[in-house]
Amino acid sequence: MSVLLDVRDINTYIGQFHILEGVSFEVPEGEIVALLGRNGAGKTTTLKSILGLAPPRTGDVVFEGKDLRGLHSFDVAAKGIGYVPENRAIFGALSVEENLRIAERSKGDLDRKSELIFGLFPDLKRLINLPGTNLSGGQQQMLAVARALVPDNRLLLIDEPSEGLAPVLIEQMMDAIMQLSDETTVLIVEQNFIVASRLAQHYVIIEEGTSVVSGDMEDLVNDDDTIRKYLGAA
Amino acid sequence: MTTTTATKPPRATGTSRWLKQNRGRLALAAFFAFVVFSALFTMDTNDWLITIIRGLAVGAITFLVASGLSLIFGLMDVLSLAHGEFYMLGAYVGWTIYVRPDTFLDILTPVALVLSALALLPLWRHVASRWPRGKWPRIITPIVVGLAGLAIVLFVFAKFPLSIWDLEVYTDTPINNAVALDQGVQEVPPPAGFDGISPLVGIISIWLGGALLGLGIAGGVERKAEVTAPLAGRSTYVIAATVAILGLVVYTVNDPLTDWWYALGTTPRFFFALGITVVLGFGLGAFVEVVFIRPLYDRLLYQLMMTLGLGFIIIEVVRSVWGRPAFTMPKPAAFNGTGEGCPGEGLGGLFSGCSTIKIFDSRVRLYNEVFIILVGIIVLVGINLIIKRTRLGMIIRAGVQDSEMVEALGINVRRVFTVTFGMGVALASLGGVIAAPAVGLSPGMGATVLLLALIAMAIGGLTSFSGAAVGAVVVGVMQQFMIKFGSVGIPVPWMEEPFKPSPVLVPASVILLMIVVLLVLPHGLFGREE
Repeated sequence: MSVLLDVRDINTYIGQFHILEGVSFEVPEGEIVALLGRNGAGKTTTLKSILGLAPPRTGDVVFEGKDLRGLHSFDVAAKGIGYVPENRAIFGALSVEENLRIAERSKGDLDRKSELIFGLFPDLKRLINLPGTNLSGGQQQMLAVARALVPDNRLLLIDEPSEGLAPVLIEQMMDAIMQLSDETTVLIVEQNFIVASRLAQHYVIIEEGTSVVSGDMEDLVNDDDTIRKYLGAA
Repeated sequence: MTTTTATKPPRATGTSRWLKQNRGRLALAAFFAFVVFSALFTMDTNDWLITIIRGLAVGAITFLVASGLSLIFGLMDVLSLAHGEFYMLGAYVGWTIYVRPDTFLDILTPVALVLSALALLPLWRHVASRWPRGKWPRIITPIVVGLAGLAIVLFVFAKFPLSIWDLEVYTDTPINNAVALDQGVQEVPPPAGFDGISPLVGIISIWLGGALLGLGIAGGVERKAEVTAPLAGRSTYVIAATVAILGLVVYTVNDPLTDWWYALGTTPRFFFALGITVVLGFGLGAFVEVVFIRPLYDRLLYQLMMTLGLGFIIIEVVRSVWGRPAFTMPKPAAFNGTGEGCPGEGLGGLFSGCSTIKIFDSRVRLYNEVFIILVGIIVLVGINLIIKRTRLGMIIRAGVQDSEMVEALGINVRRVFTVTFGMGVALASLGGVIAAPAVGLSPGMGATVLLLALIAMAIGGLTSFSGAAVGAVVVGVMQQFMIKFGSVGIPVPWMEEPFKPSPVLVPASVILLMIVVLLVLPHGLFGREE
């Protein structure tokens, strides 16, 4: 089992604020890793640091054995990293199809992937010509994940996929992410511990900008002390 | 876990909902229709019609500037205050290619050589990123290298065989050149030779000067980078080589090419000038974006200062090269026919080539009113197609909303910014060339248009492209009505004499209109709420 992404002691500032003060973890290829921690702990910033949207001031992000330091975020993304941001960032002025089409890195990506995408999210096929603004929250979330699937990404960074979704939709989203992990590696930020524990094989807990504990999810589920200490009531 | 389901207000049924959502726009449309139709009752029908047509022509010119402004502002959040000056520069450059193609051909060689060296910027960036890493060398080296390059370029430029008009000698001023072309008595200027320097030395040293300049720029822009920049792709070398070869070819066939060009009629010369100016405008815009705007992303005030200062520099350059007095650009023959069968009648007159045609008893100038409006419509449709149908347009539409997410998809947003800025400047230059035969050239022509364009943008909703088009037409028509009312007068029931707005009220009326629109619709006609 090789390491796909290696985050080594990154320190990230946003403006003058020292947001990440030493975050280190590894993401093994083909697995799902959950970033856990309280609100404001720095989970989203960690994802942005990996992508170069909030470049770390010190420390290294190594993807497929190559250091990503100094690359623009579009170069980082083009190496095969898909991003599903917390706010979904669906382009309102674009139709559902265009929202998918814009993610193509080579012509015909969408056509090659349409079976996978519409298999996971059959609703999107029905909405294909609707403008992005007309989608509900759940539909936007599906589109955001689908968009990250259009090019051949080796790694998906998914931020809070269950946030704001009705329970039925959370189930559907979890099914989709499970199926995805057969094809790619996933690094997921999830507030809902039940969702995270069912999805991920590994976990990393971030506390006030520092990665404090990491390990196998199976162990964490039975470790009430750690859960209580870092994540609040289980 | 927080649950934030999007709550929508209860939906009213179709028509009434539409009416409610658009009541501001409807009110304004009603107001505008009221102004236009009340003018119909106080004015002669012919006056009324011609005023609207003139308004559309002014609107078309305004639109060419405003559309670029709104594209750039929407995508990059940069308000380019130099846009009026890009328009003005476009007019002067277009005039020069049109009236004095020899000057253009002469100057093309050194400019192409310098540009070819600058086009290798990715290579220079690669070289610059290997320079010493200390703080002071990083700051000083690019400045020294860049200034040395600039000095060489300027020195050799002066030695190149350029035959420009002599501003001191009246018979050779731009004014006289224009008159000579218009009367068909223009002579081919004598070829000029290198000034005390061997051509080979001149050509090689100007390229090297450009290379040093590029190296300085690359070092200055990438000062913070801590990594070695990647080597340039093959397309960079292809572009650089093509431009250099173009310059050298033009140098070798300069004299026959000049003779051929002068033998052409004014119409092909005009359209040559038009096309070349638009391409040059695109190049200038791309250059300005990379060198001046890119280091200032997210610093709005600095960008405003930068573009404002750039505008002043352009004005001074134009004054020193073309002189201060205003001058004219002769209309191309296809739009300037007189004599037998003129003025043309009705729709058939559109193809008669007469300078004026008669529509509904009023005389319309073929160039000023018909051609300019036509160009405006073609550009409107063309840019709309680009935005709606191409991948570039899709990225622009997405980037207007969230350029960070576009970047996170692996799209090189910077390149899209450069192309968009280039497109904006190309559109402004097109506006300048189109407007010049109708309104003439003066170094102050940019400021007037910029004001109108900014107002059109504000009315249309700043970032909306179709908003810029509607705003430009509204501004143009309003302005022309006020001018016409200035001579006809508005009959007011309780006054004996009709009220005649003084010329001062013309720009004021447009600004007043903007204020009214923004009071009713704070985001303009088509703006999005933030």
